[in-house]
Amino acid sequence: MGRPTHLSDADVEQFGAELDALRDEVMKSLGKDDARYIYRVLNTQRFSEVAGRALLFAGILPPAWLAGTALLSLSKILENMEIGHNAMHGQWDWMQDPALDSATYDWDNTCPGREWKHSHNYMHHTYTNIVGMDRDVGYSILRMSEDQKWNPAFLFQPFYVLALAAFFQWGVALHDLEWERVGKDKSYAEALSQGRDIWRKVRRQVLKDYVLFPVLAGPMAPFVFSGNLVANFNRNVWSFLIIFCGHFTEEAEMFRIEETENETQGEWYLRQLLASSNVNGSVPFHVLTGHLGYQIEHHLFPDMPSNRYREIGPKIQAIAERYNLNYNTGPFSKQLGGVAKRILRMALPHRRKRKGPMPSSIHHERPAAKTQAQRRTRTNGSAATAAAH
Amino acid sequence: MKPIVRKVLQSSLARSLTTPLSVDHYLGLIDSKLSINEPRGRIADVQRQTPDSVTLTIAPNDNWITPRPGQHILFGIDLDGVRHRRCFSIASAARDDRVEITVKRNGDGVVSNFLVDHAKAGQLVYLSHPEGDFYPNVEPPAKALLLSAGSGITPVMSILRSWIDDDRLPDVVFMHYASTDEDMIYTDELEALAKEHDALTLIIRYTQEHGRIDGDTLDREVPELGERMTWLCGPSGFMDAAESLLDARTTKPIFREQFESSRREAAQGEGEVHFIKSDVAASGDEGSLLEVAENAGLNPPYGCRMGICHSCKCRVSEGTVRDLRSNEVREIRDTDIQICIHAAAGDVALEI
Repeated sequence: MGRPTHLSDADVEQFGAELDALRDEVMKSLGKDDARYIYRVLNTQRFSEVAGRALLFAGILPPAWLAGTALLSLSKILENMEIGHNAMHGQWDWMQDPALDSATYDWDNTCPGREWKHSHNYMHHTYTNIVGMDRDVGYSILRMSEDQKWNPAFLFQPFYVLALAAFFQWGVALHDLEWERVGKDKSYAEALSQGRDIWRKVRRQVLKDYVLFPVLAGPMAPFVFSGNLVANFNRNVWSFLIIFCGHFTEEAEMFRIEETENETQGEWYLRQLLASSNVNGSVPFHVLTGHLGYQIEHHLFPDMPSNRYREIGPKIQAIAERYNLNYNTGPFSKQLGGVAKRILRMALPHRRKRKGPMPSSIHHERPAAKTQAQRRTRTNGSAATAAAH
Repeated sequence: MKPIVRKVLQSSLARSLTTPLSVDHYLGLIDSKLSINEPRGRIADVQRQTPDSVTLTIAPNDNWITPRPGQHILFGIDLDGVRHRRCFSIASAARDDRVEITVKRNGDGVVSNFLVDHAKAGQLVYLSHPEGDFYPNVEPPAKALLLSAGSGITPVMSILRSWIDDDRLPDVVFMHYASTDEDMIYTDELEALAKEHDALTLIIRYTQEHGRIDGDTLDREVPELGERMTWLCGPSGFMDAAESLLDARTTKPIFREQFESSRREAAQGEGEVHFIKSDVAASGDEGSLLEVAENAGLNPPYGCRMGICHSCKCRVSEGTVRDLRSNEVREIRDTDIQICIHAAAGDVALEI
């Protein structure tokens, strides 16, 4: 774990420079083909939503209900994964289209876009897999690393992880409240005001899917209601699976705070590579995952338009191989198996022996975000931009 | 769009059904020109009056608001995947239901050069509500002078056409400076109008032949100059010269429209610019704050890039900035500024 010992400082710097060059090359070549791609996705999403909701109004007929639910699920998955998540990373800001502006985009999810940009773009993407700093490591309810202290409640995590999958959007919505910090270094007032934002968003989402559309359907209300419920469930489970395959596979590395202090740009890239894992698949599969099957590429360059990850994937893999670094990829089944194994293993108190002292405190001692981020201006600058807007 | 349909689509129910997106996002499935509140349009006609210019007639959607004569719009078009926005004066009469603009080729201007070379009917364009105070709410005066140079002809053309449209044409001298007759646009229309309306006197001067604007010419060519209200538009050098000549000859109001970038010089800054939300710091030496941000890899929204449209407005937490139009240096705190026309004049903390 941590930084591989076979690379010298100069190697790491060179590694970082190669990635920078690759990034520059792609970012300079963005143009109308990329725009055509994202507009095609937008149209597909909107069309499938309209068609799906229309079919559910005839949901008394089983084929209509099934097709409607499938189309609505597709629409919600595309909107959350390929459009919303990526737009909020600022991947399409270069187009200057207000409909894809990271500062104002909000997605079809109970988690308000603004909260997400803080918890995900900033905290998770900056401090990826640093136990105690990246709150996505187990979402503060699961134990995903030996460095997290075990307690008996974790024995049940194989069960409540299933609940998390089913209600994933709700978990995501509540995630940034950082309840474990409230009353300590986060005030109740701050949490309360965040809570109000979440409530406003939740109310709008629930009103739309579970009140207005069913009521408009009159006697078809139960079919519309159930179709919407199942579509949200499908989207929840799908995004849960993809996201867990991104950082909690067997070979995904976890880091300790001390290992990552005073990280250079190259070291930051290195951690992103080692902490992330890809999933092999076809092009449609990647579109449906929001290209998070290219989790490594996404973590190296969070604000690069997602359709380009497919293009740079092989190049990143080649670079990783040249530096003798693990490019963690595999079929969905293998990666998912690794996640399941990790969830089961970490449920038990067994801990592997490791060198060095354990971090005694988990939540304090955040390294000054400013100096860290300044060093890696270009990599996650715009991720953080999005976060802050 | 029928008013009833429009009302339904603008209702809070429609908003709730489409949240967190908006009705416009779905209307786009039918036609990208459709919107419930944004003015957009399609190019309906393209005329190339001179080799270096293009006159576009745009059919706007229902959200177009009747402008006042001489106003301008922020015109947007997608080129190579990027939405570019520029300011153009409306040349058509205010009440015309089509919007006409004339665009001249301009150095490496991406938008103007594209339009001159490639604009064609059917293209989708983004409009804004008309803006500008060139023609304040005044009654048409008894006597007027419309004085323009270069592409400054477009807003005065709109004033002239609006007067004729409304049948309220005063005694007007239309005086225009073009560099050669090759560059002169609207010649045929102006000559026809002058023939038709006795109240209209047309004076066209070619600077390569007749030289730049001067007092003798004004005194000789413009009768009763001292009694004329003036509308003046053109490059800054022309406007400055014309204004001082007019000031010495008339006490009637002079209205100016400055649409050329009024940045006085190359944008030089000093100090460090800190983009707080992105946690990025950059040297403010070169370029406007917008350019500094872009060079640091950020993508803040922008529009005209010349201080007109306010799309790039953003908040300075604190810092010293220089207004590139006036060179005025100000120390500000928690203030919104247009970053395209301000440079750093010391350390600046921007909320980007």
